Amino acid sequence: MTASTLLLFVALLSAAGFLLGRKRAFGIADAHGGVKSLHSLPGHYGLYTAIWVAVPALLLLIVWQSLEPAILSELVSRELPAEIQELPPERVGLIMNDVKNLVAGNFVSSAVSPEISEAAEHWLSLETTFRWIRTLLVAGLTGLGFLFAWRLIRPELRARNRIERVVRVALVACSTIAIFTTVGIVLSVLFESIRFFQYVPVTEFLFGLEWSPQTAIREDQVGGSGAFGAVPLFAGTLLIAGIAMLVAAPIGLMTAIYLSEYAPRAVRSVAKPLLEILAGIPTVVYGFFAALVVAPEIRGFGESLGLSVASESALAAGLVMGVMIIPFVSSLSDDVINAVPQAMRDGAYALGATKSETTRQVIFPAALPGIVGGLLLAVSRAIGETMIVVMAAGLSANLTANPLEAVTTVTVQIVTLLVGDQEFDSPKTLAAFALGLVLFVATLILNVIALTVVRKYREQYE
Amino acid sequence: MSNTSNAKREKGAGSKTASRAMDKVHASLRKRYRAEKRFRAYGLISVVVGILFLVVLMASILAKGYPAFRQTFITLDVYLDPGVIDPEGSRDAEVLRLADYNRLVRGSLQIIFPDASGRTERRKLVALVSNGAPFQIQGLVMEDPSLVGQTLTLEVPASGDLDMLMKGRIDRSLPESERRLSDLQIGWVDTLIEQGRIHKRWNKALMTRGDSRDPEMAGIWGAVKGSFYMLVVTLLLSFPIGVAAAVYLDEFAPRNRWTDLIEININNLAAVPSIVFGLLGLAVFLNFFGMPRSAPLVGGLVLAVMTLPTVIISSRAALTSVPPSIREAALGMGASKMQATFHHVVPLAIPGMLTGTIIGMARALGESAPLLMIGMVAFIVDVPQGFMDPATALPVQIYLWADSPERAFVERTSAAILVLLAFLIAMNALAIYLRRRFERRW
Amino acid sequence: MIKKSLTAAAVATLVMTGSVGAQSARDRIHIVGSSTVYPFATVVAENFGRSTSFKTPVIESTGSGGGLKLFCAGVGVEHPDVTNSSRRIKASEVELCASHGVNEIVEVKIGYDGIVMANDKKAPGYQLTRKDIFLALAKAVPNGAATGVDSMIANPYKTWKDVNPDLPDVKIEVLGPPPTSGTRDAFVELAMEGGCKSFEWIKALKKADKSAYKSVCHTVREDGAYIEAGENDNLIVQKLQANPNALGIFGFSFLDQNADKIKGNAIDGVIPTFDDIADGRYPVSRPLYFYVKAAHVGVIPGIPEYLAEFTSDKAWGPDGYLSDRGLIPMPETERGQFAKAAKSLQPLKLAAN
Repeated sequence: MTASTLLLFVALLSAAGFLLGRKRAFGIADAHGGVKSLHSLPGHYGLYTAIWVAVPALLLLIVWQSLEPAILSELVSRELPAEIQELPPERVGLIMNDVKNLVAGNFVSSAVSPEISEAAEHWLSLETTFRWIRTLLVAGLTGLGFLFAWRLIRPELRARNRIERVVRVALVACSTIAIFTTVGIVLSVLFESIRFFQYVPVTEFLFGLEWSPQTAIREDQVGGSGAFGAVPLFAGTLLIAGIAMLVAAPIGLMTAIYLSEYAPRAVRSVAKPLLEILAGIPTVVYGFFAALVVAPEIRGFGESLGLSVASESALAAGLVMGVMIIPFVSSLSDDVINAVPQAMRDGAYALGATKSETTRQVIFPAALPGIVGGLLLAVSRAIGETMIVVMAAGLSANLTANPLEAVTTVTVQIVTLLVGDQEFDSPKTLAAFALGLVLFVATLILNVIALTVVRKYREQYE
Repeated sequence: MSNTSNAKREKGAGSKTASRAMDKVHASLRKRYRAEKRFRAYGLISVVVGILFLVVLMASILAKGYPAFRQTFITLDVYLDPGVIDPEGSRDAEVLRLADYNRLVRGSLQIIFPDASGRTERRKLVALVSNGAPFQIQGLVMEDPSLVGQTLTLEVPASGDLDMLMKGRIDRSLPESERRLSDLQIGWVDTLIEQGRIHKRWNKALMTRGDSRDPEMAGIWGAVKGSFYMLVVTLLLSFPIGVAAAVYLDEFAPRNRWTDLIEININNLAAVPSIVFGLLGLAVFLNFFGMPRSAPLVGGLVLAVMTLPTVIISSRAALTSVPPSIREAALGMGASKMQATFHHVVPLAIPGMLTGTIIGMARALGESAPLLMIGMVAFIVDVPQGFMDPATALPVQIYLWADSPERAFVERTSAAILVLLAFLIAMNALAIYLRRRFERRW
Repeated sequence: MIKKSLTAAAVATLVMTGSVGAQSARDRIHIVGSSTVYPFATVVAENFGRSTSFKTPVIESTGSGGGLKLFCAGVGVEHPDVTNSSRRIKASEVELCASHGVNEIVEVKIGYDGIVMANDKKAPGYQLTRKDIFLALAKAVPNGAATGVDSMIANPYKTWKDVNPDLPDVKIEVLGPPPTSGTRDAFVELAMEGGCKSFEWIKALKKADKSAYKSVCHTVREDGAYIEAGENDNLIVQKLQANPNALGIFGFSFLDQNADKIKGNAIDGVIPTFDDIADGRYPVSRPLYFYVKAAHVGVIPGIPEYLAEFTSDKAWGPDGYLSDRGLIPMPETERGQFAKAAKSLQPLKLAAN
């Protein structure tokens, strides 16, 4: 049986377990004087049985599936002739790939040697045996699980509590995934960052005012200054994100207020999803739009006023990015505004307040923590956005607050440094990891602050 | 306080003061109404501005992209010469596959333009027809070997340059050296048009094929399937896990250091730039678990990890907006905490959770940066058939085409964007439907 | 509802883990590397896939450095078989490869890529020399270029006319690749260093203090005149149209495809055309390479056939399909030499460098 049919099989058995368990609960209840004599509902007993049928078998299947290829490959390679076995392990791996290709019926490059075709046959016969063992084990475990649960079903069995404990464990496990992700990210950037900081001191990186990663690409070449001071990148990131928020925050917020307080239902149900499309347009498209339509317009307009405007100004990237995050702000604030109880509105109207007064003085303060949360999410999206800036803002690391000049951002530098043509253990490539780490830590600090602020002012209404 | 004392004073002062007070009220009312109108107008303007941006963007993409859905074809009479295809008459599949079909195409063009002589001229002539044409014939012959020896009238795709000429993207008035097609070639094209051999048809290749370096043979189906497989993985992982995490944090978790840590972590992950998730995917899924590069499964995992915080945050917002009275009522009726949550609170919060998930999925669908690190920014011709086959995704395909030198890829890039948007709109439509059915206001 | 979706997810995960085990054999060539070589390698791969019974190779565009990193990570199915590079492999990289067991590397040079300085069709044409380019783009220039005093000052030139009175009075604005790019590296070396050498005292410096010489000649100005515009050459082309005053630096194939929108400017009196780059009269062109892991040949299906396709005259010859895409072919003797090396899988020896 293949893995997927086996899964189906387990699922069916589990469903059968549910029905049987429930039936048994009903039976026992009849013997003890009705359903109310049971501790839990009959369905709970059914579910309890189903869990015992499915979970152990599934766990076994996961373990089996993850180990099987390695074990098979090991067993088959043991049978290979001695001269192949003496090769270094990676060579043996390549030969095993040939065997696997043969097993899968793929086109194999060279003429197949007898050893390899023998190994492939060996593989196939082993695989068949393994499949049988797997099926038997899984079937056995489902049976055992079922019997175990079946025998446990009694009126006193606290089935609901046990199920709830299982569900709770699952919930806790899900919520810790965030921690694992963070640990994973830190681990995957930390080592490379440490290597980078061996080339460039941390203080120089964090507080240096000049960013110019012009080190040599080839060894016979001197690249130039090679300064790794990241302050211009941080400043550029903040500048562009700031412009984006100046566009997105008022428009998004007013949109949310209009849609939730003023707009007729029909308008709302059309406008809201339309605006959400803005968030879904691939950022590559925005990037092209910013670089080819917005930037030249701004440049032309600025020059007609006698201002000098860089052809890739921060303003262009920021404006377009702002448009992109409007739906983030509006959608999230909309939800929060809707969550403010109607009673508060009614109260304000009863006192004679107009709609706008109600909105500004009652609803807005009540929804503020949630709105701040939404805005922070939008800011983070702006900081993390890559493609728009890559295309529209360019790569020149200027330390400036003038939105008409070109700046660069942390994410742009990460991408450029990682996909470049330079030697891969040079400080340039490693700098990307250090930048990632810094960005990660910076947002972490911001979030801690935001969380305390939001929590302090959060109110729960009824 | 002040209101009551005002009222007392007014009573004593008589009707004159009262009317003055009313004037004041009226005056301020007018002012308040004006403020009201202004506020309302700001709101309306915001909505209109947002939608205007959308319209401008869509219009510019549509204008660029719609011609790509039609492609120029040339009608050729191709003699399937047995001497070229299979001189020994074995009709063996391998012989048929490797035969020189280019020569057949060249031959059929030569019949139309017998005066094209010399190596360069003949090359220019063949350049009018797509590189894919020989493979179209190959496919026909492989399917039905009995065709060999017959003369077929076929519609073969024209080359990207000819297609551009027919769509007016190559300016005939320019000097010859600045055009992709020479005067001679344009002359041939005019002859072909006169003979009625050139047609524009629905561009089937665009919707059914994988990537190609010949624009006329390039399609997005491979990328669409790649995106589909990835999104299935992403949705199946991020929605249940995200909702479960949100339920735990909002309904069950005690307020302590540990849950604070989780909460900060989640908010922080929502802010991490997407490319960092690519680094994570590279280190964890590829290097540690040894999963293959370019596989949609890995892409889906990375995107799931990336969208998870968005789903959790919006699910929590949805849960918080369910009034406590619902919980209290359920608990009061004797439900356990778990029953109150899953039977009453979660169903009421599902519409909000769906909104967040859809935003998250939309972001995942449009994301290309993290896929770069796990090998999905790649040239892949074969359409993926499963979660483990090498694949790209739609935004990656857009990115790759946007970077291609050939002119005909410009409109195909826009066409691919249109397809991506169509999927987004379909997803949003589903969300509207769900939300309409379940949205309520407390 | 939650439980149901949880189970659904669990089931799906299992199905997928099931398929991981089933399909781990690799049946196609895996290529990584430079985005400059990518448009050429993909064409070869596609033709290879169509005309043989092997599956079409997967080609990732990772940049030369990233490609070599993946390539050198080891021998085995999970590592790529071929990496494209827009520069030659470095000795340190060969060492790193060797330390991971990647010992026999076959080097194949595929041809040349011209680097052009182009601007909008409607803008005036420039007759540049490499000296002009150096003076316009270097971070520091010789003090009073005409007076011949042997010292350097920060680049004072604002317009092209300041650089050379024959050039138009237009602000210097050059859109080019970032320092991490191989294109930039080649441009700096070929165009700027070429101009730099025209100053006798700098040329003399080369013998005396090589690193000082390089830092003089290779450092690009950072005051906004040289705009790092990313590696998307199509975007540079379109930016040039939007801004007729700017010049752009990119590969010849983009000029070739966009000849109706932009024009290449003459460097040292030679306008970049296919023929002039091929016979070496146009001074700024650089070789492109790919590297093959010899240990994978014969094990991963199709590698020798792919090499044969790439090194055939119908691909990289003067009339081959790669030249249609803008690759400048090598002279015949060089082609023969590399085709032979590819066929016999002759391992790379960097000592010749």
